[in-house]
Amino acid sequence: MPITHEGLAREFEYVTNAGEQKHISEGIDGTAPIMQEIAYQLIIGNNTDVDRLTQEALSEGFTANQLLDDGLLNGMAIVGVKFRDNLIFVPEVLVAARAMKAGMVHIEPILSASGAEPAGTIIMGTVKGDLHDIGKNLCIMMLRGAGFVVHDIGVDSSPDDFIDAVEEFQPQVVGMSALLTTTMPNMGRTIATFEDMGLRDEVRIMVGGAPVTQDFADEMGADAYGDNAVDAVDKAKELVKLLAELKSS
Amino acid sequence: MSPVIEKMTSRERTMAALAGEPVDRPPVCTPTNVATVELMDLVDAPFPEANRNAEMNARLAATAYTELGFDTIAPYFSIIQESSALGCDMQWEQKDNWPTVRMSKPIWKGSSDVKIPSDFLEHKDTKTITDSIRILKQEFGNEVAIVGKTMGPWTLAYHVFGVEPFLLGTVDDPDEIMKSLEALKKVTILYGQAQIDAGADVLTIPDHATGDLVSGEYYRRFLMEMHQEIEEELSVPLILHICGSTVDRMPYIAETGMAAFHFDSKNDPVEAMAAVDGKIRLVGNINNPTTLYARGPEEVRAEVNTALDAGVQLIAPECAIPLKTKLENLLEIPIAIEDWVAERG
Repeated sequence: MPITHEGLAREFEYVTNAGEQKHISEGIDGTAPIMQEIAYQLIIGNNTDVDRLTQEALSEGFTANQLLDDGLLNGMAIVGVKFRDNLIFVPEVLVAARAMKAGMVHIEPILSASGAEPAGTIIMGTVKGDLHDIGKNLCIMMLRGAGFVVHDIGVDSSPDDFIDAVEEFQPQVVGMSALLTTTMPNMGRTIATFEDMGLRDEVRIMVGGAPVTQDFADEMGADAYGDNAVDAVDKAKELVKLLAELKSS
Repeated sequence: MSPVIEKMTSRERTMAALAGEPVDRPPVCTPTNVATVELMDLVDAPFPEANRNAEMNARLAATAYTELGFDTIAPYFSIIQESSALGCDMQWEQKDNWPTVRMSKPIWKGSSDVKIPSDFLEHKDTKTITDSIRILKQEFGNEVAIVGKTMGPWTLAYHVFGVEPFLLGTVDDPDEIMKSLEALKKVTILYGQAQIDAGADVLTIPDHATGDLVSGEYYRRFLMEMHQEIEEELSVPLILHICGSTVDRMPYIAETGMAAFHFDSKNDPVEAMAAVDGKIRLVGNINNPTTLYARGPEEVRAEVNTALDAGVQLIAPECAIPLKTKLENLLEIPIAIEDWVAERG
């Protein structure tokens, strides 16, 4: 069944990559009208309607997982594509994220209480000297939406802060963010500290942030580079899988 | 550029390039900053003190000319001096980290909160820069161009309102955001004029409406006219600085009347030159975190050549450099320019 919601169908036209079209349409096709409405209202940043519709759907008997997968994450998938393709920018992503949070408020407690096995555990922080957190927070929201347990160690995080968090939470993945070209080298210093402490093989490290590139990530010795929040989720899944394979071999 | 032009002083070279006039060779410019930990040690002027003490500030700033051979001296290293004077919560950091504003603790919520303290220009952190400019002018006279810096209203808005609340406001209530920017523009002009009075030859206007955060259309809608007004108010050549991807807004920036635009390595210099279509000079765009910080002189030289081949008029690192950047990489920039000019007669 094609996408039945007119507004959502219009938004879907922005997805032009064949693989992404297939992936996203498979997620949306056949979902209930209220789920498509939630996805659409999230894309346009209408947090009031997402809040209302989420409550309505729960009272109608839809599960928290349906709301997350069929409503909120389908909307965010299209937001992620539009952001990556420079069709929208951070202000528009922020209003979409605000709408997602409006829905998550109602479903997160249900998901937490369900005791489902997490997709993995991740430490996320902005590196030392950098107080920017929009990108990091967007990634955390998407990672949590995808089933990861994420421990946010905040901004201005020193190498020791990352080490302490790894020792406390035993994550598979460490995510580092930076917005400034002046603070990006602190990613390399943090990775070097993991090596010095003998912890480098215990975790996989991914980096991201507006000025960060794949080249820079390679130069600093990171395991992965996430271009945006949606990409960060894909990279985190890959890293968790790789680490599990490595440890079982 | 013409081979018959006699050797110029650094100041003459910089001012001519900014005016679009012939030069003996393209200048090496510092619209943002080139202070490093090595230079701090050399002249005993470490961060954070060098941001808050005029004598130390001037000593460290001068190294761009005396040690690196750049054609400009830029004493305002960071982007936070005005915000400190406005009352923002500051984190001054240590020698090897940049001072910064704690933007998660914004001081204001809306345009009606914007009030410039009566002693704004006498605040320790604004006065450090104006005093430093006076010291530098006295020491170097007209030998080298002194580049001051005054933050644009968009960057000030990040600091006083917080990045996320401010960007959300651009969607929720754009008229209110315009009022806030209008109010903050007065800070830009006030502090810019104070630096001109102190002797600044040029001013950089950092205003981070970057393509990493907002669209080119945002620049046109919120800032283009405001930048035109700032240009009309301040009498020295202005260099607009915006990090990140900016090619989509360069045609608008070219209409501001500013002398030059300082652009980032995310933008291809050939595309950038085409985008501005000769209406504004370009300054840039050597990559900082990968090339200047992590690689060697050979890669620096290659980027200098790429920018010069594209026609970029003033050569510079793309933004404030990482504080542990190696000096040999910075020293390579003027050498590479001299060689490029020599090779092309």
